[in-house]
Amino acid sequence: MTPNLLYAVGTLATWAGIVFALRSVYFLVRVLMKSPSDSAARLQGSLASSAIVGAICFVVGVAVPVAANQPIGLRLPLVWFVLPLAGWFVVFGLFLVFARLFQAWMAISPEDRKQKTGAAGVWFGLSVLGLLFLQGTGQMSYEVITGGIPLTPTVLGGLLLLSVGTMAVIAVSESAARSRGIAKSVAAQLALIAGSVVFGLPFAFLVITSFKEDRDMSSANGIVWIPKVSETVPYMDPKEPLYEGQHNGQTIQGEVIESRPDGTVKVDIFKPLAIRGTTFETRMSDLKPVPRMVNLVSVTFQGKPAKGMVVSDLDDGRKVVRMLEPASVKDKEQTFNASAVENIRHEGLRWENYTEAISFLPPEAAGGLVYLRNSLILVVFSVLGTILSSSLVAYAFSRMRFPGRDGLFALVLSTMMLPAAVTMLPQFLIFRSLGWIDTLLPLWVPAFFGSAFNIFLLRQFFKQIPMELEDASKIDGCTYLRTFWEIMLPQIKPALAVIAVWTFVGAWNNFMGPLIYVNSPENMPISYALNLFRGERSGEPGMLMAFTTLTVLPVLGLFFFAQKYFIEGVTLSGLGGR
Amino acid sequence: MGQRRGAQSVEWTRRIRILSQISHPFGVELRTVLSPNNRLFALIALVLALAGLGPAQEAPAKPKRDLVIWGYAFTPDTKGQEAVIREFERRNPDIRVRALGMGAGNMDPQKLMTSIVGNVAPDVISQDRFSISDWASRGAFRPLDDMIERDKNSDPLTPVPSQYYPAPWAEATYEGKVYGIPTSADNRILYWNRGIFRQKAAELRAAGLDPDRPPRTWNEVLAYSKVITEKNPDGTLKRAGFMPNFGNSWLYMYAFQMNADFMSKDGRRCTMDTPAAETALQFMIDGYEILGGYERAKAFESGFLGKENDAFIVGKVAMKIDGDWIINDLSRYGPNLDFGVGPAPVPDDRYYHRGAFANEKDTFITWMGGYSLAIPKGARNVEDGWRFIKWATSTEGRMLEMEEQRKWERRRGRAFIPRQAGSREANEMAYVKFKPGDPKFAAAVKMHLDMAKFGKIRPATFVGQTLWSEHARAMETALYKKDTPKGALTKAQIAVQRELDAFFERDKYPTLDLSIPAKISLGVTLLLIGGFLFWFSRLKLGRLERSEAKWAYLFISPWLLGFFVLTLGPMLASLFFSFTQYDVLNEARWVGFRNYQDMFGADKELVMKALQNAFYLAAIGVPLGLATGLAIAILLNTAARGMRFYRTFFYMPAIVPLVASAVLWIWVLTPDANKGLINSFWQVTITPWMNVPPPGWLQSADWSKSALILMGVWGAGSGMVLWLAGLKGVPSSLYEASSIDGANPNRQFWAITLPQLSPIVFFNAVMGFIGAMQEFDRMYIMKPSNEGTVGPDDTMLTPVYHLFKNGFAFFKMGYASALAWMIFAIILLLTFTQFRLSKQWVHYEADK
Repeated sequence: MTPNLLYAVGTLATWAGIVFALRSVYFLVRVLMKSPSDSAARLQGSLASSAIVGAICFVVGVAVPVAANQPIGLRLPLVWFVLPLAGWFVVFGLFLVFARLFQAWMAISPEDRKQKTGAAGVWFGLSVLGLLFLQGTGQMSYEVITGGIPLTPTVLGGLLLLSVGTMAVIAVSESAARSRGIAKSVAAQLALIAGSVVFGLPFAFLVITSFKEDRDMSSANGIVWIPKVSETVPYMDPKEPLYEGQHNGQTIQGEVIESRPDGTVKVDIFKPLAIRGTTFETRMSDLKPVPRMVNLVSVTFQGKPAKGMVVSDLDDGRKVVRMLEPASVKDKEQTFNASAVENIRHEGLRWENYTEAISFLPPEAAGGLVYLRNSLILVVFSVLGTILSSSLVAYAFSRMRFPGRDGLFALVLSTMMLPAAVTMLPQFLIFRSLGWIDTLLPLWVPAFFGSAFNIFLLRQFFKQIPMELEDASKIDGCTYLRTFWEIMLPQIKPALAVIAVWTFVGAWNNFMGPLIYVNSPENMPISYALNLFRGERSGEPGMLMAFTTLTVLPVLGLFFFAQKYFIEGVTLSGLGGR
Repeated sequence: MGQRRGAQSVEWTRRIRILSQISHPFGVELRTVLSPNNRLFALIALVLALAGLGPAQEAPAKPKRDLVIWGYAFTPDTKGQEAVIREFERRNPDIRVRALGMGAGNMDPQKLMTSIVGNVAPDVISQDRFSISDWASRGAFRPLDDMIERDKNSDPLTPVPSQYYPAPWAEATYEGKVYGIPTSADNRILYWNRGIFRQKAAELRAAGLDPDRPPRTWNEVLAYSKVITEKNPDGTLKRAGFMPNFGNSWLYMYAFQMNADFMSKDGRRCTMDTPAAETALQFMIDGYEILGGYERAKAFESGFLGKENDAFIVGKVAMKIDGDWIINDLSRYGPNLDFGVGPAPVPDDRYYHRGAFANEKDTFITWMGGYSLAIPKGARNVEDGWRFIKWATSTEGRMLEMEEQRKWERRRGRAFIPRQAGSREANEMAYVKFKPGDPKFAAAVKMHLDMAKFGKIRPATFVGQTLWSEHARAMETALYKKDTPKGALTKAQIAVQRELDAFFERDKYPTLDLSIPAKISLGVTLLLIGGFLFWFSRLKLGRLERSEAKWAYLFISPWLLGFFVLTLGPMLASLFFSFTQYDVLNEARWVGFRNYQDMFGADKELVMKALQNAFYLAAIGVPLGLATGLAIAILLNTAARGMRFYRTFFYMPAIVPLVASAVLWIWVLTPDANKGLINSFWQVTITPWMNVPPPGWLQSADWSKSALILMGVWGAGSGMVLWLAGLKGVPSSLYEASSIDGANPNRQFWAITLPQLSPIVFFNAVMGFIGAMQEFDRMYIMKPSNEGTVGPDDTMLTPVYHLFKNGFAFFKMGYASALAWMIFAIILLLTFTQFRLSKQWVHYEADK
């Protein structure tokens, strides 16, 4: 045994010791509380056994690494095995062999014992195969990485307090309520909160990043969690002011980019964003100058710190700063290198990431609303089509007898396994001949032909409905269609809801479809538009994250709105309405 | 128009209301069925109302012709292009230009291909030049010679070869015909950080190197790199001296400098595995060796995403070879960076004109690339497109573009840097007119301008895309040390040669009429229907049975119809294609089993790799996802309070558009601990505890699949809903009975919960495995933008991705179809095995 392996044994023992220690605390509290529902002797027995096993584990955990010349010291040992995939398979297989053998040993009926022993044999065979495979590929090696969490007094104290406290709370609440339910739900709540944090963190990261300035995307001190924005002040530029005027009945702001002797000027529109970047011609007299917002900065002026505003950016990257504070140097100007100028910033959200992201969408997209519309059309028709057709077909397969049923159902199943890629190209040729290229039709019309996936699922659900219901309706003289519509369909509403969710997500997510069929922005669903946007603006993470957030928001909103219909049906009425 | 559609939707809602009040022919009141879902109607109405929304299209006074251009997008960085288009519209008032980015023109040819096949091709496309021969060989682009000939005397804007550098013009020419007019023509030079050189002056001098000039030869650049590279105590890079493939050089650049040819003169043989190319590859390996290996350098490099964080600009890489696009970024994000330029270092023998290079005229060599404007086959508006190409590529057009871009930059307080053009005339005029004020930027532009004459291009061959991919793969394989340079290049050479042979041998195979599969499909369908009707009429059934059967057939008819039209027919067609060599644009040729032989022969390595990857993802990802989903569901089932909130929370990742989550996870998985969410935690936990540095995730061959699995677990909430439904469906009487018998929760889980949930476990497992085999979207979006391989060392290649690449990037529809059938066979096998096994452990209520 190598020292590393010994260390691994020690580590496992230590962690087992921790588990048993926590268990002892739990039982200790229960004993102290003298909960009347349990027999005291049993509790004390559990307490004693936990404490003894825990102590042994701890002793082993501490002693073994010492023997391996790797004293644990004041740290929680950690260990990890680096194995190839097949190696893990062998480990898993051997574990199952022992588990099954143990079960066989514990089994009551001889039949059961035989079955368990057989299973152990199968897993043993598989493990041997895995080993042979490993040997064949020459990957018969493993690596053990050892380490540990250093236990500084604060960490140690905190962890102890947390774990013991949790156990105590569980035990107390349990005995107080005299039922296991409460304790379980307290523990579950804690686990759920922890899980939510883990699952929600990427979202928090997304939203926060979408409000960050580009300079905060990376910093030497780790991730910036609190976005900051640069402060700005209005500044009336005497040379190149911003102008306000009227164009096509809209109030616009823009810059004059060309003046002609006859008094007409060419204006480059800045606001509103939807028409940003377009130009138009007007008379200078119709425009009125307005101040622009410029950055507030801190600089060192005449050897003293000063506050100023950037009034001009020069070609070579230098900046002209006009002083604002202190009063003694007010309105004095000086040119600085960019590195000598520091923007004054405060905590805040950079909403401009959003407006800028929208302004970069193609004009046909109407600020992204067209994408949203397309996605919604796609989703609604796909959901309707799938639910209607799949349930009808599934009903026939599960509840009606007809010649060739099993053969046809096998066919349904095999099409489910048919990779979409097989039919991708010929389907494309079919839709082309229908003239459906660059429309949304090829993306949702197939939903009305039922999908094998959903037929399979719904059949499972239909099969779980007791036969009596149907027989009753048959005796009442209902037609098949009516039985289906009135009796059976309501029974599987929860399943339909699940399918609606999946179809919804599937249609909303559909990426390969638009990739193949849709060419113009007027017909693009939102997810595909995001991919195009990503390709064009990957260098500007703030904007990219802002647009990503925008694509996520509608679907989350819809989900909140529709979750009653979608999920609650599933969870409250349960499978098959029982 | 918009208003009318809105009114229609109101009308629609009204009609639905009326409909819902009258009796339904089925004898069911529609209203009773649907009334709980009134809000569903509200939803539909909302959609229909939104359908009326859109760009308000005002009827133009005179109908204009649309000119669709792909590969152009309107952004602040392309203000000049926009001006060129607007000026074109002004000069041609009857034309409206619709310019789109589309990702076309780049390395994503699938969009262009489907549009050409679908008869919705754009009129003009801005296309990466090296791939033009590829397209032209298949007749996908229209030759422009006739129009050049026709207009060259009448229209001064007409492009003629004498205005252009020979290299870019030749790159867009295939078999003597011109298929594209060059616009940009980037070339690559060496950028070096003077500040760092000065900082290290003493050490450089000690090593016998001059800190005031850039390295000129390969040995010099390695020597400089050795001195300048700095490492952290844990072996990771602190600063890199020279990273051979950082910036833009690939193997092509160094191989060109060795005078390596990738193709024989007649274009029939691939000559990738020459000693010259091998030497070039060895140089790259040596360069990475100084940095501690490719893997480490990659992880370092990927920490600098975004232009403002470019590793060269922030002083983390001291020397790089890059194209002229970088000057603009330098002026914007690093105006104070003290940098110098020089020609890209060349092999020592070339520099000193000795050995194999004794008679070589040119000392320095660079690699030239860029874009051309071309007209795809099937463009509806060829004349207008040609008019636009003439205008946009003319010197006048180029000058207008630069002038407008300069105005724009100036108003933003930024310097304007002219980009290199394929037209010599435009290039030289631009330098005179738009020479940057800052001498260091001016020097950089001048260096690119001077090097343009020495530009070499990738071979103009119809296997350009394959050649590119294989060259990149060979480079990666060798840099990851999975193979020797010689071995990697030979493998690549064989792969390209196979394509060449297939092309030149194709005449040997008979052509096929593609209406055959259509006819076969139709025939089979009619036969099946006829056979069925005959069979059904002969069946001995009772009256009731017959009626039930008829109803049942009626019920399954939507699926049957879909099956014949959208599944069986296409399947037969695809099976037929799998025996052909077919690139969609030309007629198919019957090649028998060749495609299938290739799969287990020449292409075996990649096919096996794709299968292994899928198996890995399925074997680890699926059980992990199932367990996570079940765990969450059980927790939710226990804690009734806050259920709604948690449920939404855990479900959120599953409902987010995949593209969005992929974009998000690219950032979450960024290797740089200062940026990537996961590695920022790794840095403060696992690194100090286990002494393991943060992994490179998507950038690392060892970790990329783990990264995908991690992301998959995050999305496990989609299965959770089903688990929850299942859990609620387990009769509580079972639990009550068992707890009277003294079973503990643990025992209850294994004895009651799991067996009761087994149909769902089974369903999820089957679907999970099938899904893993067919993963495509995530890999397509998340693979690092390394055009040759799918993920580092092809570790993100899945079977369907391999198929997609072959079908849409290499136009091998026949081979792609064969792959599809192999995937189908494997999935079928897997699923039937699972079904067989399921009999033993899946518990169905109705089967009793």
